[in-house]
Amino acid sequence: MEITETKKDGIHIFKLSGNLDSNTSPEFEQKVLKAIQDGSNRLVVDFEHVDYISSAGLRVLNLASKKLKRNNGKIVLCSVADYIKEVFEIAGFYLFLPIVGSLEDALATV
Amino acid sequence: MSQGSLTLEVTNKPSELDTLGERLEKFCEGLDLPPKTVFQLKFAIEEIFVNIISYGFSDDKEHRIRITIRHENGVLAVCIEDDGQPFNPLESATPDVACPIEDRQVGGLGLHLTKHLMSDLHYRRRGGKNVLTVRKNLKES
Repeated sequence: MEITETKKDGIHIFKLSGNLDSNTSPEFEQKVLKAIQDGSNRLVVDFEHVDYISSAGLRVLNLASKKLKRNNGKIVLCSVADYIKEVFEIAGFYLFLPIVGSLEDALATV
Repeated sequence: MSQGSLTLEVTNKPSELDTLGERLEKFCEGLDLPPKTVFQLKFAIEEIFVNIISYGFSDDKEHRIRITIRHENGVLAVCIEDDGQPFNPLESATPDVACPIEDRQVGGLGLHLTKHLMSDLHYRRRGGKNVLTVRKNLKES
C-alpha cells in the first residue's frame, strides 16, 4: 500500500492507495500517530484509491480518532467506496468518524 | 450459473495473506462476482486467517493451512482447515487481558463484522484438524 502525506492550511492529508490490511496497517498507524504526536490536529484520510480495508485498518482509524478527540482534534475520511462505507456503518464508526464525499468536502469539514 | 472450486495451501505466515487475497480475488472475478461480495469475502477470510495464525498454534513451527472455495447453487462456501491445537477462530478474543478497556472493545470488532457480512459460519474439530466453514449466499446483498 502506498501512503502519501501532504499538509494544507494546517490540515494533514493522508492519501492511501491499495489494501489497508493486517500487513499494511502498522505502517499507516505509525505515520498517523507520528502526525498526531507532532501536533497535527486536523486529519483527512483520502480513500479514493483504497480497494480494501480489514479490521486492522479499522482499528488504526479508531485509535487515531480517540487520540485526536483528547486534543479536541478531528479526523475525516473522504471518497470511501460504498462497500467499505457499509463496514464503517455496521461497526458504528460513523458516530465518531465522519465520512464525506470528496476531498474538497473533507477539507471544508475538518 | 457457473460452478467451480479452488483449493490452495498456505503457511501460517502473515505474508501469505497477499497470496490468499490474490487467489481469492481471481477466483471471484472468474465468477463475475460484484466487488462488494469480493470485498466481504476477503474481509472475512483475512479475519479468520489472521486469528488462526496469531492464536491457533502454540509452537514456532511452520503449519500448512488449506483453503477450499466452492461455488455451488448460488452459495460460495469457503473451508479453512489447519492442523493446530483445537482452536475456534470464531471465539477468539483478544488474549491480552492487560489491554485497556477502550482497546478491548475493539478487539472483537473484526469477528462481529465477519459474522454480519457472511451468511453462515461454522467450526468443528475433525480428524485432528480445525475446520472452519464460511458460507456466503450470493443472492443476499
